[in-house]
Amino acid sequence: MEKKRTKVVLTPDESIQLVKELFKQNVPENSWVRPNPRSITHYHTYGNLTPFFKGLTQAKLFGTRCRSCTTGIWLPPRAHCPDCWKEMEWVEVNTEGARVYTHSMTQYPGAGFKGSVPCPLISVEIPGVCTKFMSYLSEFRDGEPYINMPVRPVFRTKNPTYTILDISWVVIA
Amino acid sequence: MIKFGKGNLRVPRLERPVYVVAGGLTDFRKFYPEKQTSELCLEAVRMAVEEGLCMAPQDFRELVNFCIYSQFADHFGDQLLAAAKIHDYLGLDPLGNIEVKTGGATGGSSVLAGIMAIASGYASLVPVIGWERMDEVSTAQGNAYIASAACKDFESELGWLYSTYYALMMQRYLHEYNPERTTLAKIAQKNHGYSRFSPYSQLPGDYSLEEILETKIVSDPLTFLECCVMSVGAACLILADEETAFQLTDRPVLVNGVGAGSHTLRTADRRDMPILLLPHEDPSLYSDRENEWPGFTSFLAARFAAYLAYHMAGIKNPVDDLDLLETHDAFTVSDIQTYEDIGLRPYGQGADFIESGDAYFEGRLPTNLSGGLLGSMHAVGATGIFQLVEIFWQLRNEWKKFHADDNHWQWFGKTKPQDFQNLQVKNAHRGMAVSHAGTGSHVTCTILERGW
Repeated sequence: MEKKRTKVVLTPDESIQLVKELFKQNVPENSWVRPNPRSITHYHTYGNLTPFFKGLTQAKLFGTRCRSCTTGIWLPPRAHCPDCWKEMEWVEVNTEGARVYTHSMTQYPGAGFKGSVPCPLISVEIPGVCTKFMSYLSEFRDGEPYINMPVRPVFRTKNPTYTILDISWVVIA
Repeated sequence: MIKFGKGNLRVPRLERPVYVVAGGLTDFRKFYPEKQTSELCLEAVRMAVEEGLCMAPQDFRELVNFCIYSQFADHFGDQLLAAAKIHDYLGLDPLGNIEVKTGGATGGSSVLAGIMAIASGYASLVPVIGWERMDEVSTAQGNAYIASAACKDFESELGWLYSTYYALMMQRYLHEYNPERTTLAKIAQKNHGYSRFSPYSQLPGDYSLEEILETKIVSDPLTFLECCVMSVGAACLILADEETAFQLTDRPVLVNGVGAGSHTLRTADRRDMPILLLPHEDPSLYSDRENEWPGFTSFLAARFAAYLAYHMAGIKNPVDDLDLLETHDAFTVSDIQTYEDIGLRPYGQGADFIESGDAYFEGRLPTNLSGGLLGSMHAVGATGIFQLVEIFWQLRNEWKKFHADDNHWQWFGKTKPQDFQNLQVKNAHRGMAVSHAGTGSHVTCTILERGW
């Protein structure tokens, strides 16, 4: 009895065309450039930093503090102290006295940025915190932000992004 | 780490001398559909071997015993184990090889790995080959890939753009030290200007300071012409032990010192600490200082790398003891910060390195005559290697051979400018390259000097 012959079938994406132009330049005829489209989702755990991101959705700003070392509050938090490697404790950060340490108005963000532009990014200096917290101003007018501008945090508790964008800052008038 | 222990500041030592015997480059372009990555790497190695060592590939290959590959981001090339493909393409199987990754400093770290391989006795002839292919995605996606090398939990979402992370440093630098804004633009003017005399360069230009300051702002206050290019291209540096080096050339270049440093990936996490002093800095220099250190205006990693390299090489004062310098001028502000970190001027006075004329051709320490990252290239994995290739050529008095030859310009489809200037530094004996990642997460300082 004759064995059946099976054919391999390709399912080409008919939308794929060789590229003729990129970066405002023509692709030379003798070099083929083929698009390789991607749509990928990574599933990223916040691990022991989860209380921080959960806190943002509840309008609370949490940092961590080492019970043994006297460095101050870490914000961004770390689960472990980088000096003694012990687990740190969670503390709610008192943002009284928070000021803009430095700033920049971003005009051409990279792909995937979720905000509108221009977007004023800032680093915030907070008394008692040993780090400078990077964030953004969610409202601004001409002349803002400026270094030493007093700010307070606001939280995106409705429709959270579950990212660092759930906290932003506004000027204290 | 804030307090140093004696192990941390131990000056590195090479167990036997390590030499550079050849270097090779491709040209660098924003978009390079004419050549695949492996083809570009082959061309860089071929230049080093055929034009540098005047050897046939077969004869060279017989002497090689280990290889180092240098690529920043698998994301860009979209090919895991690209190094294996390139190694095979060069016909170097079954020799052992490793690929090194430390962000923007990948090139410098790869050369360090090659130096370690030779110095330890593991190998006697090692090509270090670096590349980046940044044209498979749009510029916006490229910026997002680069910003994937910031902290994805607390930084990347804030702009997906390294220019912004440097702009944050720049605003703070301007606030703390108040330099003339035009001094920063002069760095861009200088490096775009020098890149006009390089057949390898991507963005040459004779720009006025007004043009530099009035181009579009990427993230204030940084303008487009103050930010490095995104490139495709490759570079190769060949390292050897003493016996092999003098067998291949009568003018090998010696690795005189090499240091590596690091600091927190997030700029945010840099705690205030005492300034680590370089050999020529007196403790009284900063006794009145009120600003934090390193804060947002300095790179501990650069200072730490320079500390080790200077002690290793016996550098007492870098401006006097070095004849030329290549910095990682990714942004004008990072360059001025680096001048201070590597001790060309005290903290806060980096502008004077430019304004005094020291940084220019025929100045006391000509810097980035290659055109640097602003003018010539930033094909990330190739960058630290490119810097050392340019220094190697200068030390061998071969700048003209590799920059002024019409054949090179024609090969890359370019025409040499009418007002071409010879940038060979007279009697260049010793030079340093600074390779830099992130907002200063990794830095290497590599010092080369004439070895003959």
